[in-house]
Amino acid sequence: MIEVENLTLRFGGLVAVNDLSLVVRPRTIHALIGPNGAGKSTTFNCISRLYRPTSGRIRVLGRDVSGLRPQDLAPLGVARTFQNLELFGGLSVLENVLIGAHVHCGGGLRERLAARPPAVIGHVEHLLERVGLAEFRHAQASALDFGRQKMLELARALAIRPRILLLDEPAAGLRNREIGALDRLLNELVERDGLTVLLVEHVMQLVMAISHRVTVMNFGARIAEGTPAEVRRDPLVVEAYLGQEAAHA
Amino acid sequence: MDSEVLFLFLQQGIASGIVSGSVYALLALAIVMIFKTSEVPNFAQGEVFMVAAYAALFLIVFYGLPMWVVIPAALLFTVAGMMLFEAGILRRVKKALGEPVNLVIATLGLSFLLRGLVRQTGLGDTPRSFPSLVSTDPVQIGQAMLTRLDLAIVGTAVAVMAAVFLLFNFTRAGRAMRALGMNPKAAALVGIDIRRTHAFVWGLSGLVSAISALLIAPKILMTPEMGHVAILAFAAAIVGGFNSLPGAVLGGFIIGIAENLVGLFVSASAIVVTPFLAIMAVLVLRPQGLLGGRPQMRKV
Amino acid sequence: MPPQQAVAALPARASSNLRLGLLVPAVAAVVALALLPVFTSGYVVYVANVLLVYVVLSLGLNLVIGEAGQFSLSHAAFYGIGIYAAALGNKLLGLPLVGCLLLAGVVAALLGGVIGTIALRMRDIYLALTTFAFGEAMQWLFLNWEPVTGGPNGLRIPPSSLFGVEILNDKQAYPVVLGVALLMLGATVVISRSRLGRAFRAVRESDVAAMAMGIPVRRVKIMAFLLSAFYAGVAGGLFATFSTYIHPESLGFQTTMTVLTMVVVGGLGSTGGALLGAVVFGLISELLRQAPAVQEMTYGLILILFMMFVPRGLAPAVSRWVRGRGHV
Repeated sequence: MIEVENLTLRFGGLVAVNDLSLVVRPRTIHALIGPNGAGKSTTFNCISRLYRPTSGRIRVLGRDVSGLRPQDLAPLGVARTFQNLELFGGLSVLENVLIGAHVHCGGGLRERLAARPPAVIGHVEHLLERVGLAEFRHAQASALDFGRQKMLELARALAIRPRILLLDEPAAGLRNREIGALDRLLNELVERDGLTVLLVEHVMQLVMAISHRVTVMNFGARIAEGTPAEVRRDPLVVEAYLGQEAAHA
Repeated sequence: MDSEVLFLFLQQGIASGIVSGSVYALLALAIVMIFKTSEVPNFAQGEVFMVAAYAALFLIVFYGLPMWVVIPAALLFTVAGMMLFEAGILRRVKKALGEPVNLVIATLGLSFLLRGLVRQTGLGDTPRSFPSLVSTDPVQIGQAMLTRLDLAIVGTAVAVMAAVFLLFNFTRAGRAMRALGMNPKAAALVGIDIRRTHAFVWGLSGLVSAISALLIAPKILMTPEMGHVAILAFAAAIVGGFNSLPGAVLGGFIIGIAENLVGLFVSASAIVVTPFLAIMAVLVLRPQGLLGGRPQMRKV
Repeated sequence: MPPQQAVAALPARASSNLRLGLLVPAVAAVVALALLPVFTSGYVVYVANVLLVYVVLSLGLNLVIGEAGQFSLSHAAFYGIGIYAAALGNKLLGLPLVGCLLLAGVVAALLGGVIGTIALRMRDIYLALTTFAFGEAMQWLFLNWEPVTGGPNGLRIPPSSLFGVEILNDKQAYPVVLGVALLMLGATVVISRSRLGRAFRAVRESDVAAMAMGIPVRRVKIMAFLLSAFYAGVAGGLFATFSTYIHPESLGFQTTMTVLTMVVVGGLGSTGGALLGAVVFGLISELLRQAPAVQEMTYGLILILFMMFVPRGLAPAVSRWVRGRGHV
């Protein structure tokens, strides 16, 4: 579903991503982990075309993305969330999700002019139920608590009806109970709805519980890849994380 | 036009352009230092400039004070006014909603308030000229005619620019201002007093504007609309790259020279469109300005 | 109040149940407005015409600044283009009134599209500066392009005609001005609730997220710019129907600021706010017309005080009040 080949991105002299290759298989949850500054979010932003890679190739759904603009991905069925929340904060919860369905309400003039476009409103309401925000549909997005804002961002991304979901730290800052709900939702999306998920995550509890495959990055490069169990035993990974712990202490 | 006249016009245009350009450069510097540190384009900069000149005129006309009192008093008044606006009003606006649009509107409000106030005093009813400290005897440079006052203007302006550069690059306050411009959160973490630095920048910007006003005031007729020159300073800042102090200076001279050449070669009434054309040319050819860094993508 | 309720009680900017409650007073207001010329003097009708032009201007400026969050400071220029286009369409081409109005809107919109396309290469700040400079340049053009605009002497406009009837005074023009203003108001409400309106707000709130939702951000911004210029052009066309004379002095930054103040006082991003602001502030500015210094100080003070204490403008406060009354 996503193939990254020899991706390199330099900012000036800094090599943010160094010759990274990665294959995400259909209907799997693939996690991208690594210490801070390892280049995970940068890789993400290359896939969603916010950054232009210095070299390398990225194919999404079998299609080379190099000619695409960031807004061309949603119509292809690629949705994303953001590390530091990028909600439409001043708008209502409902409107946030409706905007997520933007590419699906461009049919006729009636559809375009409708405040609640018939083609998408049912799906939007369903998504709000599914992430537990139905009762907040008229609240202002920025007034929600942090966990609900994260769920709203997920619902907004799902309104695209994506085949691929790119999640940038979906569990960061969530409480345990909320992580459990997220865990179930993601599993359901893959098992029942057939989505493919690539996620960047720090919360190991989530990564180890739900990922089919894990890629570990450090200093912009891949240092390990495998099932959660394999990765956990890898000495390079242990060192990268321990090294970071030591640096923090 | 034969080549000799052309060459003469060219020399005169460049010489006069450097004189007016030095004043635009100062005003552009005042705008850019605020923008760099607080991301606010101060649309009232032209009116601050105007008020500084009128404050000096007021002291001369109503109290007959000597220049050595008038000049420092006018400078101090402007600095205090700017700091007060930043600390008393903008800070409150930032807290109230804090959207950039709101801050810009507040500065637009200030520009109208100041112009109305000056008009209300009646000082602006008749255009006045400001007494000159330096004689207006002519001086010939190459084939261009300037006055001694012109030379004094350029000299003072260049000295002020140099002082600003030294201040920004070699003092603690300058480091604080640069840090604030790059990353306010990090600046606060390393112990920089954000509020004081903001107030300081606005005060400094007021000082530079006031100096430029007092420099140019003897050369022009003063009206409450004289703040209009700010559009030239804004054009200068855009040409130079809106976040670059050296760019502001370069842009100021470019606009000054372009304006004078247009005045000489095209027509006096075409001067008004020069800044618009300069802005358009830069936006089409090099949107980040001559010395501006590439605009960075917001981190997400 | 438990936190859940606190969140639910916080209303978002758009509210649909409010509209129903306002329907009855709105219909009453339209009827009263339609009957205005029957009961009042020519001057009152003239002021009403001016206010309606301000309403159309405010609706347009609110679309680009309030809804789409793009700072445009050349509204007066598009307004001026509309006035001249309508006047010249009438004078030189002999177009009927509807043709003049359309011409005014379309010419302004085309220019708006061009300027928007160029200015939107950069961030908000540059947009503000470029449009400001464009406004100045256009005023210069109005003042200096004498063969077309009459230059500083102004331009005399022949009376326009509707279905063969010549419009000679304010009272005759009023039904047209009112009708078109209401039409524009209706269109604004529809646009604001539509997919395009949502795209405008998405771009205002976060352009990165808007892109991720598949919204062509640049095109949407240009669209906002173009639409706003269309409104300003139509407002100019309306002005030309009840005026006999245009003077370029009145087409500068001062006018842009007046309209901006209206939108800010009413509440950026709210159609009702733009309407309210245009009426309230239009009256104030009409009252202060003879005292330019006081007018300037008032504008300045209102802008500053609103940004300090009522940054969202009057509209949210008014709708809170209406809602509050409904609960009793």
